[in-house]
Amino acid sequence: MNSGINVSDPTVVAAFRAALAHQGLIALAILAVLLIVWVSIRQQPSAAGPGETPATGRAAGREPAGRQVLRIGFGLLWLFDGLLQAQPGMATGMPSQVIEPIAANSPPWVQHLVNWAGTTWSYHPIQASAATVWIQAGIGLWLLAARRGTASRLAGLASVGWGLVVWAFGESFGGIFAPGLTWLFGAPGAVLIYCAAGALVALPERSWRAPRLGRMVLAGFGLFLAGMAVLQAWPGRGFWQGTSGGRPGTLTSMVAAMAGTPQPRFLSNLVSSFGSFDRGHGFAVNLFAVVALAVIGLAFLTGRRRVIRPALAAFIAVCLADWVLIEDLGFLGGLGTDPNSMIPMALLAAGGYLALTRVPEAATVSAAAEPAAGEADILTGPGGGWRARLRPAAVRQSMATASLGTMISLGAVGVIILGAAPMAAAQATPAASTILAQAIDGSTTPIDSPAPGFTLTDQHGRLVPLSSLHGKVVLLTFLDPVCVSDCPLVAQEFRQAGQLLGANARHVELVAVDVNPLYYELAYTQAFTRQENLAAVPDWLYLTSSPARLRQVYRNYGVASETTPGGAMLGHNDIAFVIDQAGHLREELAFDPGPGTAATKSSFAAELADAATQLLRAS
Amino acid sequence: MTRPWRAAAALAVAILAAGCGSASSRTAAGNSPGPVPLSLTTAVAGPGATWAAVPMGAASGANLFWQLFMLPAGGSRWSLQTPPDIATNGALILAGQDGQGLIAGERPSLSLTFSAITTTRDGGRDWATLPPTSGLANAPDALAATPDGHLIALGGNQQVSVTGSAGTGWTSLTSEHALAATPAGRSCALTGLTAVAYTPAGSPLLAGTCGHAGTAGVFAYTSGTWRQAGPALPAALAGQHVQVLRLSRTGGSDVALLAVGTGTSAGLLAAWTSDGGQHWSLSPGFRLGGSHPVSVSFGSGGATAIVLNGNRGEVLTGPGASWRTLPALPAGRTLTLALPAAGTTDALAASGSTLTAWQLTGGSAKWDRTQVIKVPIQYGSSG
Repeated sequence: MNSGINVSDPTVVAAFRAALAHQGLIALAILAVLLIVWVSIRQQPSAAGPGETPATGRAAGREPAGRQVLRIGFGLLWLFDGLLQAQPGMATGMPSQVIEPIAANSPPWVQHLVNWAGTTWSYHPIQASAATVWIQAGIGLWLLAARRGTASRLAGLASVGWGLVVWAFGESFGGIFAPGLTWLFGAPGAVLIYCAAGALVALPERSWRAPRLGRMVLAGFGLFLAGMAVLQAWPGRGFWQGTSGGRPGTLTSMVAAMAGTPQPRFLSNLVSSFGSFDRGHGFAVNLFAVVALAVIGLAFLTGRRRVIRPALAAFIAVCLADWVLIEDLGFLGGLGTDPNSMIPMALLAAGGYLALTRVPEAATVSAAAEPAAGEADILTGPGGGWRARLRPAAVRQSMATASLGTMISLGAVGVIILGAAPMAAAQATPAASTILAQAIDGSTTPIDSPAPGFTLTDQHGRLVPLSSLHGKVVLLTFLDPVCVSDCPLVAQEFRQAGQLLGANARHVELVAVDVNPLYYELAYTQAFTRQENLAAVPDWLYLTSSPARLRQVYRNYGVASETTPGGAMLGHNDIAFVIDQAGHLREELAFDPGPGTAATKSSFAAELADAATQLLRAS
Repeated sequence: MTRPWRAAAALAVAILAAGCGSASSRTAAGNSPGPVPLSLTTAVAGPGATWAAVPMGAASGANLFWQLFMLPAGGSRWSLQTPPDIATNGALILAGQDGQGLIAGERPSLSLTFSAITTTRDGGRDWATLPPTSGLANAPDALAATPDGHLIALGGNQQVSVTGSAGTGWTSLTSEHALAATPAGRSCALTGLTAVAYTPAGSPLLAGTCGHAGTAGVFAYTSGTWRQAGPALPAALAGQHVQVLRLSRTGGSDVALLAVGTGTSAGLLAAWTSDGGQHWSLSPGFRLGGSHPVSVSFGSGGATAIVLNGNRGEVLTGPGASWRTLPALPAGRTLTLALPAAGTTDALAASGSTLTAWQLTGGSAKWDRTQVIKVPIQYGSSG
């Protein structure tokens, strides 16, 4: 599913940084323009209507504390996750170092689904990684800025939607379908907690007035923790033993793996120490975990503040201990994408606890007036239908009365669209990004000289002079028909290029010259053509001739072939040329196919197809 | 009863005494044991040279490279003659030719799905290509040739193809499925093909595994008809499962190596025919006693050398001779026995990129190291 390219490949990293920089500038520009427009409209005396002063914020009530904790807490978490997604290795490392390992123990249907996501990412690593950065940063900013009203609730919904995408494809459903599920290591997945919090933020504010919501949240949490306690206590899963048969128990080995990831020494020492402790006292550690989860869960289920308050304190303490000693902060080792599940869990529980407090009626806005009085919700606008809302006067009116938070929310939505749009556009094309080919072989070399002529024999036995192909773009390469590795990959890339060209393919000739002067007989070019399913490709020519004539072509095109001893295949340089309709060499492409993954094959095919398309457009 | 027959009968008695003989003499195909896995490591001896195919480098994968070594007749030093310009990761299947000639088929490997065929007439100095065939089967006798260049190949898909002389293209001759439907195939309950060969007269000869107990699956193609041509086995072996492990032409005759019986009482029999399977000579039986054959090589005149697991080896010098146990074979990750001349046995021990040649002459009880060859293996060159 991954591209096979090194996570620190300088070409990809540079392209990722450039994309982030460009999109970051655009994001800043969006925010700046919005603020300038907002300020200037508000300064116009007529903007807010005669006798009115522009609104400066919420006119009525205070946001319920529980909601505020969730909104701000998860807004900050999304922002932090967005920053983590901006790590240089994320573009190529996400499929291979994050998605694949998490999915490794999941059932085949989960792996199939996750593989699809990994492949999609690896086809467009720059767009995918940048999109993730901006979507997560945008959601975080939106949650932080939109304090009240529909805009704020929409931010909660956005958190739910994107969270589900990340939970399914990035976290393999939090591993709930894989063996070894444990709360200690983050079940049921950090981002599912984001989704729960987002759903709560998306509720109408009136839901937060009564303590019923808090009780429901804590009861649900209590049931979940009690279930996790049962799972943790279940025998035969290796949690009760620090060691078993001389091998570390389940928790000990998990902690040891975390301690081995790159991180500050003091932290790795701390985690290692806990691992050693668990190795010697595995039963006691698991007993503590089971009892703690069960007692806290039952306390949450009571719905009584007096019981819940100490339980919440204990829960937060357990979460923090787990976060440091077992989850190892979650984001330090390798390519961390979030701080794992304990901080979100503690936040959600705290939000639920705060929601137990009845909010006085006067302190909230009425249900009908959730967008504050005097403050138009610019994302949803005033009433009167969308046509009315889009009238310049209505937009001006909305902006004049909008708060700063609303304007930043609007900017956050712009940031999300800014990130998602290039990925959506890339996804609409069947080919992978050409950045992968460039990462493997560098950029193409433009040239302009007459293509050296030749007359060779195609796989059907017909003589083909190069001049007979004038009028078409020729994509030319050199292939060994008995090659066991690179040449079949290059042939596949040529075949895919033909497919990408679509209707233009009839103006393009895909040409290979036999580069093995021992295996030059027609039977071999024919066998290779069959092997690579190229027989049905109408513009495919695999040319050969006598060894002497072939060597002349090699010399003219700078192709070096070399016999190597010891049963190795013929050595030759992987190279391709783009010849224009007039028979001029226009580009030389280093064409080592690299790891030969689906993504890199598609990338090389796209590079060829792009080169041909440019020449066809220019003619 | 001739001596070989007496020996074969003794083998049968031994098998029966071990309690492995079935009371019912007809064994259904479904009850047959699986084929004996035999390495493709082998040596063939012709009048002008002995050739050996040896796996070297890594134990498997893209860094396993099969090497071809040649010892000229009367010579004392092996030389590396691996065919050039093709990766040999998939094994070399050898078909001996006259003089210092050889035809080598390259088994599919990695991304290569067909089999290239190359030939030399001068001991490996110059190579030329012959038309490729669909992937050769994983069997040491998947390719055979007549002296005038007709080829017969057994594909991995159990299709048998032949060429005309002078490298003309391949045409289908038959398949396991088609042969099984003929009277000859039905009488044997053919379950799979294992080897192809030519008779001295140039007729195709196939070997396979029969579902019917006590039947050796050798088939000769004459006048457009397949007939069962396997050696008749002693009645005492009637209830035993028989597999043709090897079938190859050596000089003026064809030699077959049969595995008879199963388990600890299993044994081997060699059989020779010089008239396309009309008449056979049987060797004495060799009781495996729980061991199993790893690889088999042939010398001129039908001599047979077998490497058994546990660094043990057996040699049979030809029709009428008895099995001779070799001294403990030299150590090596793979070992190939070769029979370059009467009374001489060479052992080629390969480890990594080093091949060590050992020789045993006459009645000596000790292997003499004669040569060490460092092969310039191009690790990583196959991807």
